[in-house]
Amino acid sequence: MPGVDTPMIQNLARFLDLSVYRQTLIASNLANLDTPGYRTRDIDFRRALQRAQTDLQFAAFHPGAQPVAGLLERPDGNNVSLERESLLLAGTQLRFRAGVELLRAEFRRLSAAINEGR
Amino acid sequence: MNLFGVLEISGSALAAERQRAEVVASNMANLETTRTPEGGPYRRRLLVFRAQRPAQPPMLLAGLADGGARGIRVERVVTDATAPLRRYQPGHPDADGQGYVSYPAINPVEEMTDLLGAVRAYELNASVVQAAKMMIQQSLDLLR
Repeated sequence: MPGVDTPMIQNLARFLDLSVYRQTLIASNLANLDTPGYRTRDIDFRRALQRAQTDLQFAAFHPGAQPVAGLLERPDGNNVSLERESLLLAGTQLRFRAGVELLRAEFRRLSAAINEGR
Repeated sequence: MNLFGVLEISGSALAAERQRAEVVASNMANLETTRTPEGGPYRRRLLVFRAQRPAQPPMLLAGLADGGARGIRVERVVTDATAPLRRYQPGHPDADGQGYVSYPAINPVEEMTDLLGAVRAYELNASVVQAAKMMIQQSLDLLR
C-alpha cells in the first residue's frame, strides 16, 4: 500500500473487513428468517482473523462461511435462531465500532509523530 | 461484500415482508368474497419465499466476493387449493342448485398469525439496516 502504513493499520483493516463480512452473513440469516429450508451460515471469526493476519496475500483469502451446527431446526427445514442473530448483530456492531476507534487512535498517533517534529 | 451489501440484503427482506403483509390484507379483505373475475369465490393467496444471491456491488476485496450471503425474494404467489366452505343460503344470488353458497376457506386467526410474523420480521430487518447505517457513519467519521 502506498503512503503511510503501519502493521496496526493493516491488522485493523482486516479486522474491520471480517466484521463487515460477518455482518453481511447475519443480515442474510435474518433476511431469511422465514425462508423454508434456509440454513444459518457464519464464520469462525477468531480463526478467520488469525489466518487473515498471517496470510500475506489477503486479497486472495476467503473466510468461507459454514453452515452452523447445533441449532434447532423448525419443521420447514429452517434453523435461523432469532436470539443468536440478534446478539451477534449487536456484538459485531460494537466490535466494528471498537476497530474504528482504534484506527482513529492510530491515525492520531501518526499525526502526532509528524507534527511533533516541527 | 461491503456494508452497502448489508443494506441490499436487508432491503430485499423488507420488501418481501411488506408483500407478505399485503397478501394477508388481501386475504382478510376478501374473507366473504363470493365473486371474482376468475369466477367462483376468492381463493386465499400465499407467498413462496426464496433465498437469493444478491447482485454484487463493487467489492472491497476480491476474496470476499461471494461468501454465501443471501438476500430474499418472493418467488411466486400461489393460491390455496383448499375447497371453499359451503354455507346453506338459498336466497343468496350466488347459491348453487341445492342452495349452498361457496365462501373462501380463510381462517382469520391463521392470517393474523402470519401478519404478526411479517411485522416482527420487518422490524428485525429494519434494525439490521439501522446497524449497517451506524457502521457506515462510523467509517465516514474517520475522515473528519
